Parts: sequence; C-alpha cells; structure tokens
Amino acid sequence: MKSIAFKAAAAVLGAVGIAALSLTGTARAAHVVVDITVPDQPAIGQLMEVQAHFHSESNEAIADMAVTFHEEVTFGGVTSDVELGGAVTDEDGFAALTYDPRTAGTHEIHVRYTYADGEEEDAVASLTVPATGQQLYRSTAGVKIPGLNVWLLMALVAIVWAILLSVAFRVIAIAHADELPPVGRAGSIGSS
Amino acid sequence: MEEVTSPWRDRLEETALAPVTGTSRAYYAWVAFLLVVIAWGVYAYSRQLQDGLVVTGMRDRISWGLYITTFVFFIGISHAGTLISAILRVSQARWRTPITRMAEFITLVSLICGALFVIIDLGRPDRVLNVIRYGRWQSPIVWDVLAITTYITASTAYLFLPMIPDLALFRDKLAGRVSGWRMWLYRVLSVRWRGTHSQWQSMGAAMTTAMILIIPIAVSVHTVVSWIFAMTLREPWNSTIFGAFFVAGAIFSGVAMLIIVMAILRKVYHLEEYITEKHFVYLGYLLGTFSLIMVYGNVSEYLTTGYKMSEGTEFHFRQLFLGEFAGFYWFYLLGGLVLPGLLILLPLTRNIWGVVAASVLVVAAMWVERYFIVVAGFRVPLMPYEPSTYAPTWVEISVVAAGFALFALLITLFVKIFPIMAVWEVAEDEPTTEPEPAVARLPNGAAPEPAGGAGG
Repeated sequence: MKSIAFKAAAAVLGAVGIAALSLTGTARAAHVVVDITVPDQPAIGQLMEVQAHFHSESNEAIADMAVTFHEEVTFGGVTSDVELGGAVTDEDGFAALTYDPRTAGTHEIHVRYTYADGEEEDAVASLTVPATGQQLYRSTAGVKIPGLNVWLLMALVAIVWAILLSVAFRVIAIAHADELPPVGRAGSIGSS
Repeated sequence: MEEVTSPWRDRLEETALAPVTGTSRAYYAWVAFLLVVIAWGVYAYSRQLQDGLVVTGMRDRISWGLYITTFVFFIGISHAGTLISAILRVSQARWRTPITRMAEFITLVSLICGALFVIIDLGRPDRVLNVIRYGRWQSPIVWDVLAITTYITASTAYLFLPMIPDLALFRDKLAGRVSGWRMWLYRVLSVRWRGTHSQWQSMGAAMTTAMILIIPIAVSVHTVVSWIFAMTLREPWNSTIFGAFFVAGAIFSGVAMLIIVMAILRKVYHLEEYITEKHFVYLGYLLGTFSLIMVYGNVSEYLTTGYKMSEGTEFHFRQLFLGEFAGFYWFYLLGGLVLPGLLILLPLTRNIWGVVAASVLVVAAMWVERYFIVVAGFRVPLMPYEPSTYAPTWVEISVVAAGFALFALLITLFVKIFPIMAVWEVAEDEPTTEPEPAVARLPNGAAPEPAGGAGG
C-alpha cells in the first residue's frame, strides 16, 4: 500500500472558527492533513477500499466530518464529475469508500470535505488500473421459478393455435354439411 | 329452400347489397385521392430504403418516433372491433348486430397497417426474419410477434365466420349483377352455405369458440405491446399498470374509431334505418366510461411515481407537464379525456354529432398519447448528457400519412366487396311492426334502454 499525504488549503479556519476554538479551548490545528490510501495493485472489476485519514498537523484525529468521494469521468465525449459515495470520519479520523474501478487507466479520486469556515476543500489521489481483457459484465442469477420457461410459453401458444385449428375444422364441416333442408330461422340465408 | 322474406327483410338485403352494386364518382375520387397519398408514401419509403434511417429524425438516443407511435396506435385501434364485437356477443347485447361487421373490419385492417409499421421502422425490412432466426423467448419482441400473428389469424377467423351466411346471400342475390371474379370469390368464401341445420350448428360452435378465445388474445396483444416499453430500463416506462393502461387505452381509441367509421359509412351508404342514434349513444357510454378509466390511470400512474420523484421522473415530469411535450400532454388530458367525457355526459351533446365529435378528439388524443409515451420516454437521459431532440422528417410524415390512407383504403375496399352488415344477425331483430323513421331516433337527452338487456 502506498500512502499519499495532502495538505489542504492553509486557511481552513475562519474568524468564526477561531472564536469557537478559543471559547471551547479545543486544541485544533490550523491545518487539516488528509492521508489517502489506495491499493498498490488495483484491478478492473475488483472491489477495493479507498481510505482517507483526517487529522490535524499535530496528528489529532478529526472525527464526524462528512466526506464525499468523486471522480472525473469521461463517457461518450462528455466529461462530468461523478460522486462515488460518501462517508463520515470515525473517532480515529478515518473515512472509507468501497470502490470498483470499471475502466483501465489513471483514476483521480477526489476527497471533498467542508471544514470550519464552510468552504469546500478537495484532496486528490490517483491510482493506475492496468488494462486486461477481463469481461466485466456478469449476469445475475435472477429468480428461477420451476416450470416458468420456454416450454410453458410454447404450450400456451400451442393450445391457442389448436383451438384456432378446431375453428378451421368447423369451417370445413360447414362446407361438407349434409343436404338436409335449411332451417326456417329468421336470419337463415341460403339458396333454394 | 323456403326463404323467410318480408318487405323489411328485402330492404335490409338491398341495403347490404347496395355498396357492392352501385359505385358513384365520389367513390372513385376518394379512392384516387387515397392512392395518391399512398404512392407518395411509397416514394418516401423508397428514399428510406435507399439511404437508410438517416433520412428520418430518429437517432441513437431517440430511436423510436412516428413509426412506433403509429404502430402502437393501430394495434390499439384493432381492439375496436374484435374485442368490442366479442364482448357484445358474449353479453348477448342485441343492439350490436348492425355494427359488429364494421368493428371486425377495423380490427383486421388496423392490424395489417400496424404490423406494417414495425417492418417500416426496421430500416432493413429483411431483418424482420431475425426475430425468428435469433429470437429469444425471454424477449417481449418475440412475445409481441407471437401475440400479433395469433390475433391477426383469430380476427380473420372471427370476421369470416359470421360473414359466411352473408357471403352466401351475395352469391345468390348478386348472380349476373357483379363481375366474374367477385362471384368466384363469394362462391369460394361462402363454403357451400345453404343454411342447413348442421351448418348453423357448425357455425354457431365455431363462433362461440372464436369469440371466447379472441377476448384473452386481444387483451394479451396490447398487454405485450405495453411490455415492450415497460420491460425496458427507461424511467418513464417503469410502470406496473402499463399493461392494463394500454388495454384500456386501446379499447378507448378502438371504440372512438368504430364510432367515426360507423358515422361515415352510415352517411355514405344510407344505413340510418339500422345504425341509429341508439348505437352512437350506447357506444358513447362505453367511450365515457373508458375516459374515466383513463383519467384514473393517469392519476394513479403519475401520482405514485411523482410522489417518489426520482431524478429521471423529475426530468420526465418537467418535459411532460411544463416543457417540450406540455402541449401534447394537456391536449391529451383535457381535449382527449375530459372534453369527450363531458360531451357524452351532457344531455345537450349526447347525440350523434356529440358522440362523433368526442370520438374524433379521442382518436387524435390517443395518437398524441402514443407519441409522447414513445418519444418523451426516450428523451430522458440515461447518462449525464444533454437531452436529445426528435423532429420527424418529411419521409416519416409521408409514410405515416400513407399508413392512414391505406387504413382508409382497405376499409373502403372491404365494404365495396364484402357485406357491410351482418344481415342474418340484423334479420333476427326484425321488428314486428314497421317503425316510423322518427321512432328510431332518440329525443335530445333521452336515455336509451340498458345495453344488453333489450332488443331481442
């Protein structure tokens, strides 16, 4: 595993934040340090964990911070920012994302968070996924209901067509009917 | 044979024979006009065959347009006939007798026209065989092909069976009055009908089987057509009621088309004695009922999906209610569902003209509904890209116009060759006393007797 440390923008704490710190007396540093850990050997279609460790310069963990993970994705000629997921740092300052790279090449994972002054900060880590000939699509098993298959469909269609055939036989019966005289019903029509 | 005859019966037979024996100049002019429209459509289609689907407005993101809209519309119209006719026969509604034949004509003709549009939409018509060569039974397209071919076969049988005695009438009464090929046709199709007891028995049994069978087939056809949409991963088509909604819409538009065709044929072939205001009002009631069902379907569909309002639904609702398709949607809802309902509800407009006006609105609105279901459904982006647009080209408009002209032409030719009414069925309702013409009409606002209960 390789670890990449980023120093976020220097002015994290604004005037309000400083006032709050002085009131509560919390020993928070003026800088947030984000360590992003990504796997050494990522592979297409293989789940991996991207971990971000938030702490102050004095190595004090920053807990309960909302973090989102993003990636710039290009598809069909259009590039857009895609949110991969979100997490909240635990008491040790860790936030993690389970990530599944779908394409080969270099991926830039952005970790975004908002700290104290309300401004959004961004830390970036990159990982390179080697190209393979692996097929990513796997059909799911689905729900297999016994008897619900092509034969049921064929049986249904066959029954309907058999009934239609019986209608055709009735027409043949009309053509070969006996020579008994026609019935004298109101709607009867026939030659004399 | 000793034929049952009376002045009323003679008049009925002459009325049924009249379209076959006499041809006016207006008829030729009408046929010529339809042929010109069809010829133009064939030319447009030849351009499509030559250059490919690029001559249409369809592209990769919106890959279905006017053709599939018209296909769904015609399949819906096909419910006019067989389903309505079968339901009325099963429920023994005697008032149905003068209109069932027209309804059955509409079914067959609209199925032919509808099926053509699927092939036209392919671009490469020879690839229609791929459904058979490479089709998978899990595909709704394969179910659709099975359902429609079964429905065409069953509808042909259902049209043909009750026509046999009338074809025999034509064979007997038109000898020497029509051309040789027609006599040959009547002779072959009347399958040696002489009206014997066993022939009536065979025909009765066949008709009973066919009319019971055809109802589930008809329902299955439009259900499967709806599943082509509902089983595709598109936000606007994620619906559990699509099947029922499509079947209701099909009967709705089918009844409306039947009323329009009835009104035209009644006027052209002077069928006022047999197709009375009662028939229009009864079918109007059916239309009104289905307009309420359609309104309910819309509320149920859009309220539930809108309540959850996923991202795609929001986009779809904006384009449907406020954006690109708002004009279409509000015309469909207000002009095609609410206004026809009011026209039938109000005693002042509950007459032939009111019902026909309502039907014209319904037919137009149901085509529009198919259009925005198809095109607006495709327009919702699946990926973060700009939504595409679709505008039909002259080729598509010409081909669709030719499709409607073909529909009208086939109806025109059918009534020119085959009996326009089920004479033997109408004859069973022969009145004991000759009614004055005015008696056959209902006074304004008068409610007719309950459907199915009276008359026979």
